[in-house]
Amino acid sequence: MSELKGQISIRNVCKVYDPEGVNVCAVDNCSLEIAAGEFCMVVGPSGCGKTTLLNAIAGFHGISTGEIHLDGQLLCSADYTTPPAADRVVVFQNGALFPWYTVLENVTFGPVVQGVMTARQAKRAANDLLGELGLRDIAQSYPGELSSGMKRRVEIARALMNDPKVLLLDEPFRAMDALTKGVVHEFLLQVYDRMKKTIFFITHDLEEAMFLGSKVVIMTTRPCRVKHVIEVDLPRPRDFQTRSSSRYLQLKNQVVKAVHEEAKKAFEAGERELA
Amino acid sequence: MSTGANAALNKLRKKIFNRTVLRGTVSVCLCLALWELGRAFKLPLLEAMPAPSEIFGVIWKLVVDPKFWANWGASYQRVLVGFLAAQVVGIPLGLAMATSKAFYDISFSAFEIVRPIPPLAWVPISIIFWPTTESSIAFVIFLGAFFTVVINVLGGARNIDARFTRAAISLGSRPSDVFFKIVLPATLPSIFTGMAVGMGITWEVVVAAEMIAGKSGLGYLTWSSYVGGNYPQIVVGMMSIGIAGYLSSYAIRLLGRVCMPWLRIF
Repeated sequence: MSELKGQISIRNVCKVYDPEGVNVCAVDNCSLEIAAGEFCMVVGPSGCGKTTLLNAIAGFHGISTGEIHLDGQLLCSADYTTPPAADRVVVFQNGALFPWYTVLENVTFGPVVQGVMTARQAKRAANDLLGELGLRDIAQSYPGELSSGMKRRVEIARALMNDPKVLLLDEPFRAMDALTKGVVHEFLLQVYDRMKKTIFFITHDLEEAMFLGSKVVIMTTRPCRVKHVIEVDLPRPRDFQTRSSSRYLQLKNQVVKAVHEEAKKAFEAGERELA
Repeated sequence: MSTGANAALNKLRKKIFNRTVLRGTVSVCLCLALWELGRAFKLPLLEAMPAPSEIFGVIWKLVVDPKFWANWGASYQRVLVGFLAAQVVGIPLGLAMATSKAFYDISFSAFEIVRPIPPLAWVPISIIFWPTTESSIAFVIFLGAFFTVVINVLGGARNIDARFTRAAISLGSRPSDVFFKIVLPATLPSIFTGMAVGMGITWEVVVAAEMIAGKSGLGYLTWSSYVGGNYPQIVVGMMSIGIAGYLSSYAIRLLGRVCMPWLRIF
């Protein structure tokens, strides 16, 4: 296997929004190191500014101060933003499969628009990937025909087709029922075990964070800052039974306490959710 | 007969002979019966109307008359020309307004001032402006569909979920990819809504324009039947317009299904 890629270094990042002259500090002096190939979960109360951080890494907007590096290269700073590119693909909260394309067309979208593969090559590669991920049967379906769990799996496959350095997941399993969530979790774990991509995964679901991540970063409420970093030393490969192991429960307890404090603060401050 | 063909035949039978179709047939028959009796018994309002039996008598004479079909052809030709011109000009304009803020700022106010003017109010000026009656009718028809098309395309293209454009950019799209692979397909449903509504307006306009200035067409047929005192033929003209309009919107729905296969699943 080639050298791991996707090391992210977030250094003293601040992001100040300035709507109508009122400075809103969404991210304040946030620093975080994510090793190449690490499964990093970012947890914090709703509206704490996690998405702001993710959008900065993705290149959707700039930051006010600080720097973000990817594999030693400057990604963004106060006066520079690398535009979005397929080396750090985002999987969005509500899903963004293109409804007018079939699963196969969605999955081949990235390599084709980037011009790194011809349509035929992309099709072959996509079919291989879909087969590997157990999604071959739905290759010709439209997203509208699929369940929410299926859609997310396809979307992750679409991201993987670009061989990204980093997968940026913004609460991808948010509005999902527990059973579906369980299935998609195992899917993502399998993907991770096989591909070892760096994953930057935002969630407010603690159990999800503990179960999936190698590292759980707990954020304070706005302004968003790193409060705790917990290394989750649960062995891989993990499956649904990991959730009943004593080490898992012990870690979970620790994290729940930390986040509860922050959630209470946020609630008392009467924060509205900032998307 | 094979079982497959049998099953298909059964399916067809169920499709044709079911309660909904039966009710529809009863409804139409009742209407016709009421109409016929109303004329026979001199009921108010219905008394002056030609009865269905008289109309059917006229229909048989008309359907074998090539002049009747020439009127169909004339109206269809006008509708098609005006409608297609409205699409060709309107769809790009709507897309341009949706994608470029500068262009939107410049064009929208002027557009909104002209839009409320009913197509028929344009008849006098277009007769003055255009060299032939035919071209002025085509222009008025064009206007009828044009504004609806632009408004629909604009609305559709502006309301594209930012997730899709962001996802496309995140996957490495250039601006042209975003336009052709995201904006355009995402706007297609609105384009077809605009077409369907625009087609309806087109038929309204063509009939009115033909009544005012035409020498042929279904509107002309209806009006000249009135002038000539051939009352059953008025009704045949009206029915022809209804059927022609229905066929046109059916064609658009069909085209929509072909162009937007992802909507077929619902």
